[in-house]
Amino acid sequence: MVNRSDKIHTHPYMLRSAIGPLVIFSLALVSIIILSLLLSKTPGRTLHYFFLGPVQSTYYFGNMLNTAIPLIFGGLGISLAMRGGSFNLGGEGQIYAGAFVTTMSALTFSTWGIVGAIFSLILGAVIGGLLSGFSGFLRMKWNTNELITTFLVSNMVILVVNYFVAGPLKNPETNLIATKKIPESFQFSRILEPSNLSSGLYLALIAVVLVQLYLYKTKSGYELRMFGLNAMFARYGGIQAGWYQVWPMVLSGALYGLGGGMVIFGTYFATVKEFSAGMGWNGLAVALIARFQPVAVIPAALFFAYIESGARNAMLHSDVTFEIASIVQALVFFLVTSSVLQQLGTKRVRL
Amino acid sequence: MEVAAHMHEIVKVYPETGNRANDGVSLTLRRGEILCLAGENGAGKTTLMKVLYGLEVPDSGSIHIEGVSQHILSPLHANRLGIGMVHQHFKLIEDFTVAQNVTLGSEPRKFRFGYDLRRADQLVDAVIKEHHFSIEASDKVTSLTVGQKQQVEIIKMLYRNVDILILDEPTAVLTEQEIVPLFTTLRTLADNGKSIILITHKLQEIKNLSDRVAIMRQGRMVGEFITSEIDEREISRLMMGQSISLQLNKVPYSKEKRPIITCESISVVKRNQERPLLQNVSFTAYSGEILGFAGVSGNGLGVLEAVLGGFLPISSGHIEHNRIDISRRDTRRARRDGLAYVPADRIKVGSASGASVAENLIIASRRQFSRFGVLRKSAMREHAESLLQKFSVAGSPHMPLGTLSGGNIQKVVLAREIEQYRDYIVFSEPTWGLDVASGRFVYERMIELRNRGAAVLLISSNLDEILSLADRIAVLYRGSIAALISGEAIHHVTKEELGSYMLGLACQKEYSHG
Amino acid sequence: MSAVVILLFRSSIAIMTPLLLAAMGGLFTELSGMLNIALEGLMLMGAFSSIVFTYATGNMLYGIVLGIVSTVLLAALLGVITLYLKSNVFITGLATNLFASGLTVVLSFKLFNNKGVVVFPELGNLPQVDIPLLRVIPGISTLLNGHHLLVYVSWILLACCAWLLYRTPFGFRLRAAGLHEETLVSLGLSPARYRFIAFLISGFTCALAGAILTLNLGAFVPNITSGKGWIALVVIFLGRKRPFGLLFAAFIFGFADAFSNYAQGAWDIPADFILTIPYVFTLIAMIMLSIYTSRKSRFE
Repeated sequence: MVNRSDKIHTHPYMLRSAIGPLVIFSLALVSIIILSLLLSKTPGRTLHYFFLGPVQSTYYFGNMLNTAIPLIFGGLGISLAMRGGSFNLGGEGQIYAGAFVTTMSALTFSTWGIVGAIFSLILGAVIGGLLSGFSGFLRMKWNTNELITTFLVSNMVILVVNYFVAGPLKNPETNLIATKKIPESFQFSRILEPSNLSSGLYLALIAVVLVQLYLYKTKSGYELRMFGLNAMFARYGGIQAGWYQVWPMVLSGALYGLGGGMVIFGTYFATVKEFSAGMGWNGLAVALIARFQPVAVIPAALFFAYIESGARNAMLHSDVTFEIASIVQALVFFLVTSSVLQQLGTKRVRL
Repeated sequence: MEVAAHMHEIVKVYPETGNRANDGVSLTLRRGEILCLAGENGAGKTTLMKVLYGLEVPDSGSIHIEGVSQHILSPLHANRLGIGMVHQHFKLIEDFTVAQNVTLGSEPRKFRFGYDLRRADQLVDAVIKEHHFSIEASDKVTSLTVGQKQQVEIIKMLYRNVDILILDEPTAVLTEQEIVPLFTTLRTLADNGKSIILITHKLQEIKNLSDRVAIMRQGRMVGEFITSEIDEREISRLMMGQSISLQLNKVPYSKEKRPIITCESISVVKRNQERPLLQNVSFTAYSGEILGFAGVSGNGLGVLEAVLGGFLPISSGHIEHNRIDISRRDTRRARRDGLAYVPADRIKVGSASGASVAENLIIASRRQFSRFGVLRKSAMREHAESLLQKFSVAGSPHMPLGTLSGGNIQKVVLAREIEQYRDYIVFSEPTWGLDVASGRFVYERMIELRNRGAAVLLISSNLDEILSLADRIAVLYRGSIAALISGEAIHHVTKEELGSYMLGLACQKEYSHG
Repeated sequence: MSAVVILLFRSSIAIMTPLLLAAMGGLFTELSGMLNIALEGLMLMGAFSSIVFTYATGNMLYGIVLGIVSTVLLAALLGVITLYLKSNVFITGLATNLFASGLTVVLSFKLFNNKGVVVFPELGNLPQVDIPLLRVIPGISTLLNGHHLLVYVSWILLACCAWLLYRTPFGFRLRAAGLHEETLVSLGLSPARYRFIAFLISGFTCALAGAILTLNLGAFVPNITSGKGWIALVVIFLGRKRPFGLLFAAFIFGFADAFSNYAQGAWDIPADFILTIPYVFTLIAMIMLSIYTSRKSRFE
């Protein structure tokens, strides 16, 4: 089984070095180049569309920013969980379930206007929080490994939601396997036509600020961080251990669920089967790159969105397939938890 | 008699703490003898043996095995030179049999890749028979008693043909009944030509078993003696050293003393331990006094610390604070109640290296530094700055605590607890890791606290510290109070006397059982 | 014996074989102390590479061998990054799965211009094997005879695994790495070395497992191995981490799958819910295991 000591945490004595993320960033770039050379008959063209495609027009640029929205929410959620010393690997299910619940709530309370919209989003967050909090509870009570339980629950939830979306709740009017569309009043407005970038972006940025404030300016955030840094020390100071084994999980699941709702209100307007595939994992990768710092989640999310957007562009205009992005993301995942790489070029400073 | 091993002027300094664990230590081990390496905790015995076994490399000095100079680079190398070590924490695979454990790494082969399990059993059984052990090669280790598991560790070494055997506090994990067979085994091994070093601080063992004893204190070798020519009191005195007065200015407390913390017959029992960790411990800490708790580590000091700190619940008895029962408390209640507590392990328990200095300083007083759930950052900063200045800590509030030097980290912890005490404060090993000047500073603060009316509970294995500071001294031995020294007797008590209580040689009448 | 029972039994054996193979490899990593969730990705790699190389070389044997080579390489990558770059084994396992998933689609597109199901019509299936010895025993023959080659290979491999784990120094040291690695370290042995070899072994067996899936189908389906890696882990735990326990557990899953295929006409449980079974199973097993261990260690 995975040792508890395998947990990722920034080593306290290391100055936060930029070398680790830089190495990963460069390796990602190099791998894109190599993949293009190997797989494309026109590597130059491929690379051109990969790197420049996302920024060459408002349409592509806006779409790229749009894909960053759920990544920001996910990245924030994981950062909170890890700062509190917990691991949440159930993002895929939590986003999907949150999106689904938000959609269903919007459809049910379609006449409630903005109150309905807020209520639906909150409901999505709640379901995400419950799913994740369940694993936190198991850990608190019986020291069950939350890496595995979040993952398992997530897979179960995806299958269950799939059933509903493809079955009883499927929208009969379209060929798309999806639920009915939410009412127009609930849909976020476009802020960068002709792309589908929604005002959800503002909410994502607000969320970053809120989470940053929570972590560093509130008593609860302080307690969460102390517990994550040294659970023994937190206990010594009178902080209740049990609560902080659950609360960070609840927060991270809620943020994932909220992110799912954001994508529904901003982009899809209905729960399309498996629309969120990969968003959970990307959220995790974003948090890992951002070293669990809320503010750093924004550039990390943009980085991932950029890779996905670049791959999509390259696919549209050249002869490679979108799945190149998966390979690059896999590479990031491979390297981002390496403590060997993290310690490259760092120094100890003592007074 | 021939010399099996000679260590000459070994120096080993640990750079992180500046601790001179071995300061020019020399040791001679003769063939076929049992040599006890004695000393208090921290004397440097384990370090010296780690050097001999290749777990540490000395900064200077030389080692000769059978007359040949050697640089011992690793335990494997030591094994090849005929040196074996039996650690306190066994390195055994519970699910495997004795033979499988013993031969792991040097398994007898069948057709190159196969494991000749039967031959392994035969070989190990041969070793067992030769030394008259009570176990069988095919026994599963998990079914063995602790004493038998230790035998497996010894057999592991004998299988590898060691001539020199080092045992690290072997009786720490054994019951009384298991000690005798161990001694018999060791004696037989010695008679058959093996040379044995026993690391210990237990006087009875030294007297009963060893041919010679080498006594260390504070990183230096005090001397090597023939056991039959030295008595226990002398060994104890040499281990503890002469009393050093720290010349502190301590005036008697004049105001009336109120009981602040009272413990009545508290016991701590754990399911997996035979003996209670604390047994019927009763004492009262009064305002305006320093109550010292002395003892050899492992006899209950750490347990008492955990109980006072709220980490460990008591199994029976009462604890009262200002006459209010606080027997059932966790750390949260303890802090609410006004606990101020400097833990022995300032780094692992008392601080978070990744958090800033200011954040570390408010862990127990976080409620005062927040309003409606929001932290009052400027108040935190001012608080930190004033404490840093008051305690002369080099650093600033926003720096991560881990970037400070070890000594400064400790000062931060001390500053925090001293600053926020209400009417009592617990200190555990307060000067571990501090240089002399900082240590003195701590002592002065402690006396100041006491003069202001605080009840200071001092838990320490440092007798000089206890003798200089305490107004009353309670000695813990095996989880019970062996003696309580107070009143006039405080001014006359000696280290030897305390030592004899600490080592179980003596016991005040009112504290002895049956 | 009723025809239905025979059919179910034979289907069970057919279905369980890839699971058994994957679980065998996972057993080595599990016993060495690593939670290996890359079984899925490794199987996927094996599935894709075996059929592609078979197609390329026209020879199934070469195809399988090359499939093994590529999968073991991926497993080696996983091992190096986890053990020598000291990364979190769960995350690198995820990375492996993601990598295999992406790589297979990318290559599929590059080689066959097809991101979806790629059919290879002329390859033929894995050879059926007829064992004359089994014919002698009447009942057994109908159940156990006539399966494809890799079924019998998997049984032979299982016996080899048992021998490796319990009758060689390698096996003892590997298990020691998982049980108490400090003991190995104190003897001058490196736990990482044995864990790395365990990863390679899992690559080998997963390659075979994947090969069965595609070669018997005659086609490559993207993410054909989805969920099977987790079922393999459940098989390991259900089989109490012992080789012959794996056989039993894999059979149960094979049977459950065969039965649900058969019963899907009869009953109306949606496929999605049936697919949740391995996850539910593992979750409950995990919870029960942690209740048990937390009760046992009431130290503090």
